[in-house]
Amino acid sequence: MRWWVAVAWIDQLIHEAEKTVDEVEVFYVNGISVSAELKQKKVNLATTSKDCGLGIRTIHQGKIGSSATNDPEQWRICLDAAIASGKLATPQEWRGLPAPQSLSRTPLSFDKSLEVEPAGVIDLIEKMLTGAAEHPAEVTSGAASLSTATVTLANSQGVRYTDQHTGVSLSLEAIHNQSTGYEFDHSSFMEKVDPESVGERATFFATESDNGKEIATGEHDILLSPLAYAELLGNVFVPALSGRNVHAGRSRLGQSLGGPVTDSQLTMYDDPLLAKANGSVRWDAEGTPTRRVDFIREGILETFAYDLKTAYRFDKKSTGNAIRGGFGGLPAIGHHNFVVDGKRSRVADDRVVYIHNVVGAHTANPTSGEFSVELSNAFWMEDGQFEIPLRSAMLSGNVFDMHKSISGLSKESRAIGSLVLPSIRINKQRIIGK
Amino acid sequence: MQGVRYYDLRHVTGQVTHIDIDNSVVESAGSSFFNKAVIRVLHKTGWGVLQIDNYTPCHGRKFDALIRSACRLAGITQGKVILGDAPRGILGVPPLTEDPRSVDIEEKSALLSGIEQAAVHPSVVNTRANYIEKIENVQFTDSSGNEYAYEMCRSGFNVLAVASGNGNIQMGYEREHSIHGFNLRHQQALGKKAAGIAVALLEAKAAKGGKMRAVLDPELAGVFAHEAVGHASEGDLVQEGSSVLKGKTGLKIGNENLTIIDDPGIHEFGFDPIDAEGVAVRRTEIIKKGIINSYLHNRETLSSVGHGIAGHARAMPGEPPLVRMSNTFIEEGDATEHEIFEECRYGIFLKGSRGGQVDPGRGIFQFNAEYGYLIEDGECTDMVKDVSLSGEILTTLHGIVLCGDKRIMSPGYCGKGGQSVPVSDGAPHILLDDAVVGGSGVD
Repeated sequence: MRWWVAVAWIDQLIHEAEKTVDEVEVFYVNGISVSAELKQKKVNLATTSKDCGLGIRTIHQGKIGSSATNDPEQWRICLDAAIASGKLATPQEWRGLPAPQSLSRTPLSFDKSLEVEPAGVIDLIEKMLTGAAEHPAEVTSGAASLSTATVTLANSQGVRYTDQHTGVSLSLEAIHNQSTGYEFDHSSFMEKVDPESVGERATFFATESDNGKEIATGEHDILLSPLAYAELLGNVFVPALSGRNVHAGRSRLGQSLGGPVTDSQLTMYDDPLLAKANGSVRWDAEGTPTRRVDFIREGILETFAYDLKTAYRFDKKSTGNAIRGGFGGLPAIGHHNFVVDGKRSRVADDRVVYIHNVVGAHTANPTSGEFSVELSNAFWMEDGQFEIPLRSAMLSGNVFDMHKSISGLSKESRAIGSLVLPSIRINKQRIIGK
Repeated sequence: MQGVRYYDLRHVTGQVTHIDIDNSVVESAGSSFFNKAVIRVLHKTGWGVLQIDNYTPCHGRKFDALIRSACRLAGITQGKVILGDAPRGILGVPPLTEDPRSVDIEEKSALLSGIEQAAVHPSVVNTRANYIEKIENVQFTDSSGNEYAYEMCRSGFNVLAVASGNGNIQMGYEREHSIHGFNLRHQQALGKKAAGIAVALLEAKAAKGGKMRAVLDPELAGVFAHEAVGHASEGDLVQEGSSVLKGKTGLKIGNENLTIIDDPGIHEFGFDPIDAEGVAVRRTEIIKKGIINSYLHNRETLSSVGHGIAGHARAMPGEPPLVRMSNTFIEEGDATEHEIFEECRYGIFLKGSRGGQVDPGRGIFQFNAEYGYLIEDGECTDMVKDVSLSGEILTTLHGIVLCGDKRIMSPGYCGKGGQSVPVSDGAPHILLDDAVVGGSGVD
């Protein structure tokens, strides 16, 4: 079906809105998912979910209004609420929503072979359990889900874009005596997930972390896995690159444009067009065509991320970094596939404290970067081997300062949400033992 | 319908109104609407669940078709779910002192702006205030003929001040959320307080990590109860074997003076007039005089695990219910605040909360204070920043040596299984021996 037949009411909505406001934008999501949950080794709950949501944004004389509903038949009420909301907003410099561009219609994060069926999730669960059986730890819980969604963006400048996404996600938790293990995987493509490995890693970490030893308080060389690194990077460092936080005075990187902010071997960029990556899109949540954005090149801060609103207000250009958490919220500054890269090396040759995960990273101070977190599945590692498990300890430091003394990046990277990260080695970090 | 052992339907419609003011600019303000339902069915084995956006209530054949489709889904489950018996009945929702719907959004915006402007200070580079008001109309029916309907209104605000000086950047954050009605009037003091804390933190020292005596204020001690005890007592975690409290009822894990309660029925921010599977809500004593007494349950975990009562199932609109905390608190003791500081002598006083997290299977928790003070000779002296605490569920509670005589509850939200629900936590001031404090400061 051609899109304008499926969503003819969107044209009607735009036409209606233009009678009252300068511009209007419509964001419509429609999707289904199937999932199953494990209670120990048995599936005890199966769900299908039908999701539907409409978000409307209006702009009139620089005043931005918005509303949302999950009943598209009620679009008139939603439009009225958006227009009313715009009357309250402080007016700002506004130079228009994007005009349509001829972008490829081939979706980047869509697996046409992925079927959203109960049989598919059961197959994934069975494979996870097969993997989990390789180690003695007991499975406590787990889940698998398959989903597909169609996203439509239309505006009064003539943009009519649709995109399709698919998703597969897996997770498993295990316990061995008083030692826990957790692993997960997710992708837009079935071939990119490895359910056996998810199961195997969960029971491996639970089993191997049992009988942990104490570690002395002091400075230690650490190796953060992509999972542990994602917790600290995502909660503190990435938000400091948002143009909105910078101009509001909430970013510690705000005054550092053009200067060194990390070790010179680090590069950080957003690549929305990365092949088979989870966050790949050709246009952002406002219809701005996406492109690679280099935030930090060899340690030097080159740019911040912008959406239209922040760009117009501070005389910048949108970097195509508008995202929506769902249909309900306004577009906000985010990223698509945030990559940390640089010279790769063998990071585990010398003795190091390997940290698989951390507990409590969201309690870090997002403005100053100070954190102290509890370690999860930490080990003394020698020659890349897990040697001695560590029972319990805290890691304290500052996320920004930590990036200035990176000792190495591992050869492999892993996708954690929309972050694509290596393991990173940092020497002389403060660990507080018990 | 043939073979259907049980079904329930929870349909929630409502409206969310928000205002976001950032550096005196009204970034956005307005209302959105939602309509979500969840249908759960038990057939031969486990749950078949349908989550439906934009649900239209239906009866007869149309409803039967939904039940059949949930049954087919339930067909792929293996574990047999048995539901425990539970008492029914719904509490009254407390009346609103002032209904937020009767205040127009222009007035709300002006009041919020007053709170945000109260945080303006020469060293403050950013002030931000948010208002959020959520009205939920809940309708519940089940196959046993129970039907309930109620309306809940929750509203409140947050105010943030960011101070900057000498390359240092710090924040102060205050919040107030309520089930009792509109609460934006006469609140400028909280804006001013946020600014005062942010500015004072510019001069604060980094806390030095290690083991020490700590006094926790009621807000942080409440988070301590929530993270250290609350999550691990959730019946679903006990059932699947991922709680260190499994099989430990009767075990003494704290002093005689320690009692920890969860009560969805009290009129605090986590109040529910009835739980999300139509069960009457009642008080559970999780820890009674230092001994593990009861778990929190829904009907499924009650029948599977025992030790406690159902009535602790909670859900976001359109999501299946999970076993959750509601209003969780440490009961008052008999120590005055003065006695607690005197007894501490030397240590650290920790105030406010930036949240926490727990691994209930391992029994390890972590939570973070907004700021604190060193205690020297029973008096608060230098201010310290970025202090967190970690501990082990089965040993740390023995360290609670004194509980104050005045309890205060604080509102917040708690996340589990992708669902966020309103909760409150509270406690009196407490004195904690051998607290493991994390901080980046060194001698």
